[in-house]
Amino acid sequence: MSRPVAEDLPATLMRGVSPEHTETTMSVMTPIFAGLWEHYIFWSLIVGGFAFGWLFHHSFWFTSKDGEKLPNVDEIKIGVFPKHNDDMRLEVAWTVLPFLLIVWLTYYSWGPLDAMWTSADGGIHGYECEEGQSSNNSIDSSGIISSDCYHVIEITGQQWFWSFDCLELGTSICDTGTETMEVYGSVPVLSLKKGETYLATMTSIDVTHAPWFQHLGTKEDTLPGQQTTLWLPISESMSEESMVLCAEYCGDAHSVMAAKLIAHN
Amino acid sequence: MRSRTKGAIAVLLVISAMLALPSAQSLPAGISGVQQSGCNCHGAVPSDSVVASIDGLPESYNYSETYNITVSFQGGPSQEGNVNQGGFHLWASQGSLGVNDATAQLYNENEVGHTEAGNDQVAWTLTWTAPATDTNVDFILHVNSVNGNADGAGGGTSGDMWNKLTITLGGPVEVLEAADPFVVLGVLIIVSATLLAFTLVFVFYRKDPEAFDWDNFAPWLADWLTSTDHKKIGTLYFIAGLFFLGVGGIMAMIIRIQLSVPGNDFLTQEQYNQFFTLHGTTMIFLAAMPMINGFANWMIPLQLGAADLALPRINAMSFWLQPFAALLIFTGVFSGHGADTGWTGYAPYVVSEGAHYGTTMWAAGQIMLVASSTLTGINFLTTMAVMRAPGMGWMQMPLFSWSVLIANVMLFLSIPAFGVGLIQVYLDRVIGTAFYDIAAGGDPLLWSHLFWYFGHPEVYVVIVPSFGIISEVIATSSRRSVFGYRSMVYALAGIGVVAFIVYGHHMFTSGMSPTLRFVTMLTTMLVAVPTGIKIFNWLMTMHGGSLVYRTHTLWALGFLITFTLGGISGMFFPSIAMDTHLHESYFVVAHFHYVLVGGTVFGFFAGIYYWWPKATGKMLSEKLGVLHFLTAFVSYNALFWPMHRLGVWGMTRRHHTYFVTTEEALGSLPMEAAGWNMFITVSGFIFFFSNFIMVFNMIVSSVRGEDAPDDPWGGWSFEWMTSSPPPNHTLYKLNDGSWGLPTLEDANEHIANEPGWLSSWFQRLMVTDQETGETGEASH
Repeated sequence: MSRPVAEDLPATLMRGVSPEHTETTMSVMTPIFAGLWEHYIFWSLIVGGFAFGWLFHHSFWFTSKDGEKLPNVDEIKIGVFPKHNDDMRLEVAWTVLPFLLIVWLTYYSWGPLDAMWTSADGGIHGYECEEGQSSNNSIDSSGIISSDCYHVIEITGQQWFWSFDCLELGTSICDTGTETMEVYGSVPVLSLKKGETYLATMTSIDVTHAPWFQHLGTKEDTLPGQQTTLWLPISESMSEESMVLCAEYCGDAHSVMAAKLIAHN
Repeated sequence: MRSRTKGAIAVLLVISAMLALPSAQSLPAGISGVQQSGCNCHGAVPSDSVVASIDGLPESYNYSETYNITVSFQGGPSQEGNVNQGGFHLWASQGSLGVNDATAQLYNENEVGHTEAGNDQVAWTLTWTAPATDTNVDFILHVNSVNGNADGAGGGTSGDMWNKLTITLGGPVEVLEAADPFVVLGVLIIVSATLLAFTLVFVFYRKDPEAFDWDNFAPWLADWLTSTDHKKIGTLYFIAGLFFLGVGGIMAMIIRIQLSVPGNDFLTQEQYNQFFTLHGTTMIFLAAMPMINGFANWMIPLQLGAADLALPRINAMSFWLQPFAALLIFTGVFSGHGADTGWTGYAPYVVSEGAHYGTTMWAAGQIMLVASSTLTGINFLTTMAVMRAPGMGWMQMPLFSWSVLIANVMLFLSIPAFGVGLIQVYLDRVIGTAFYDIAAGGDPLLWSHLFWYFGHPEVYVVIVPSFGIISEVIATSSRRSVFGYRSMVYALAGIGVVAFIVYGHHMFTSGMSPTLRFVTMLTTMLVAVPTGIKIFNWLMTMHGGSLVYRTHTLWALGFLITFTLGGISGMFFPSIAMDTHLHESYFVVAHFHYVLVGGTVFGFFAGIYYWWPKATGKMLSEKLGVLHFLTAFVSYNALFWPMHRLGVWGMTRRHHTYFVTTEEALGSLPMEAAGWNMFITVSGFIFFFSNFIMVFNMIVSSVRGEDAPDDPWGGWSFEWMTSSPPPNHTLYKLNDGSWGLPTLEDANEHIANEPGWLSSWFQRLMVTDQETGETGEASH
């Protein structure tokens, strides 16, 4: 089987993915996820470096030799509320600066929301495809896939297996079947075409489930009595075989409620 | 009398005769009934010249495998041409013996001997089928070497010789008998409870070894069971909390054994589901919450300068609801049908027929905990509103008291939603209402909303008191007043407010409306601001200070590291495009263990080392404390840090096992995941056992610790003003040397508008003492 690595991605998508992170470690990182992840790691390192540098310095600088007479910097006395020790400018600074940072992070996280929640009526995936029409996926620099049109499939969760239905789509666009896997046993298989976008309309027969399309970095609950939807845009660089696991606890065999996603040409 | 003696002698004689008579059968029907007692049928003593042997037995058997074995002997008078050459008897303690042909006969599955047809040979072939369990098997073989003088004198046995061979066979070494995890859990809980009981009895014994009898023990015990003293109830909360921390830890270790290697089957899926459910419920509701209440019960009246809580009997009731709630929550375990819903108990699974029977009592137990928490909330809010010492305005309360105030406000306002949800679930399961029956129009998302409206404030309820402890510990250890007292209070209050508007981030993939998801994405980002203020204020408190390293200081500094890491990883979730991947993965598990263990529990540890001398009057060993910190801090990080990476790789929460991708087979995780899981399990065991250093430290301190001074660390708040331990009826040592209730002074210039408008408004809601006609000053 082919193991998807970051090298499979077009060079434009390799934002911040360093070579030593290739191989298996990045196997489940979609370009959108990888972009956000690297950005967040960058700011985490800055915030963490600042806080831990400060902590490290003060832990060793402002210490006391534990002698007979303990120092008492602020003349603290039992039963007396101590003198205020504050500095308005500093306190405002570390209220405003983190606030600005989260405003930036919110802005940065905003873009990909479109990829997940785009309307099925003329959003970035257009309208439902006519028979024989192709999605003709294109991918932008942040990994967001847009398409001319999309295909509709159905996913149904049930204790403890997935049912996929290609509806009236031809087998070259969408195919289903079952396969016996070495570790998971017999699992349903959903085979989707690279370069096409699918809208899964999902429901559940019994309790809440959630298909986690591991290599698409996405999941959504399937609820009994309700319909939820999930976009499945399949890029040209999508790994050929990947797993679909149940991510919402659903009872005894929850952990082996698995399916296989095949991306075919 | 004489006849009775004769009778007894007669009976003895009969018994002796029965024992003395040879019970074995001799030729030609075979030797039987000898087993271990020995064969005395062909001569009185065994002869070394006869050598018995068994061929064909393995060194260690495989379960249920059948082996062809040959029993034979050499030596003795037997020789070819004799009418008869020999006989044998073989006994096996386990498994079943079988015969191949007419030369041997089976007495029962443990015993086989030769037949008449097998009389003229020296070797016999048999079969032995190994048992299906792992055990040692003993074989005892008797052989007779026969000279063939069957027709001669001495009944045909004269001149014959016999001997005996004993072999012990081990079971398969590579496959151990699997223990039932529930039996393991049950045994460990019983052992822990027994040790706890012994410890408590020992504490009583140490109190006064002379008075160690029931007459003194019964009133002592009755006093603990019926006390309304805030200190005693605080101690009870603490013992219960630590006990369940251990129980939850045992369950965590069993979970980690299961996850140590891919595809493991130590726990079945069904058992695993119960273990993670009860681990979560136990740790949050039966460990963290009682320990918070332990600290709060002990320290809130002491910090406020009060003699007790406002409602001592309500306080006792709050506590005593808990052990019974715990029994209900665990009830299902005793029948192997414990709740298997996750601590979140998502509908409609929680009301479905698939969920275990234990789920009903699990819900019932939690309803009792809701009642307990509500009473606790009323009690603490009332105490803080009306029982502060004279001179202590809202803005002069110690930060730990503020944190408990905010935690109780959050709890009090959020837990009714949880109570409503639990009652619906309970009614659905018991009398067939249809709140979550989808076919009848029930809404599966209703439970999620009710649960998380409570659940998110709840996780802040368990972390915020730790913030308070850390504020006290860092300020006291640095010999400084805490930096930015007012912004600390506002930040706490800010956390208390945002707690209620962020819960939607638990439901980013739930099918909830995108508008709500977007709003909660924004509000969740906001959580970073007040927590950021607190972290920077703590760091700034150390600035210009004079940090004294004690064990509680180490834990507070450790808290700053782990809680900051947990806070940073928390910022990844509101970015929804990342959350759709990380949701329900081990990244989430890593995050909440970083804030709930690295935050809450580390804060508790700091609090234990900080207030132990005050509560018990004995100092803890600093050496053991440092050892505890170092081992626990390192193993803790080794335990939870790698989980972040596992989550990104795609390891799913609440899965009883996982499979790695190999060259032959597709799994859901890369190969390295297996190694890291083993590493996590090993680190987990080190972390688990490292905490017993603290327990040991507590026991050593109780038995022979140094006496603690009133204010060992140099704190300013009222708890340091009383003796260590405080007197039975809480009172304080006043400046004039008498005992009484204190008045707070303020080192700052008097604030003219204190009490502020909020406080004045709140006071108006209170019934004053004048109105009730009581005498004395109106409390603040």
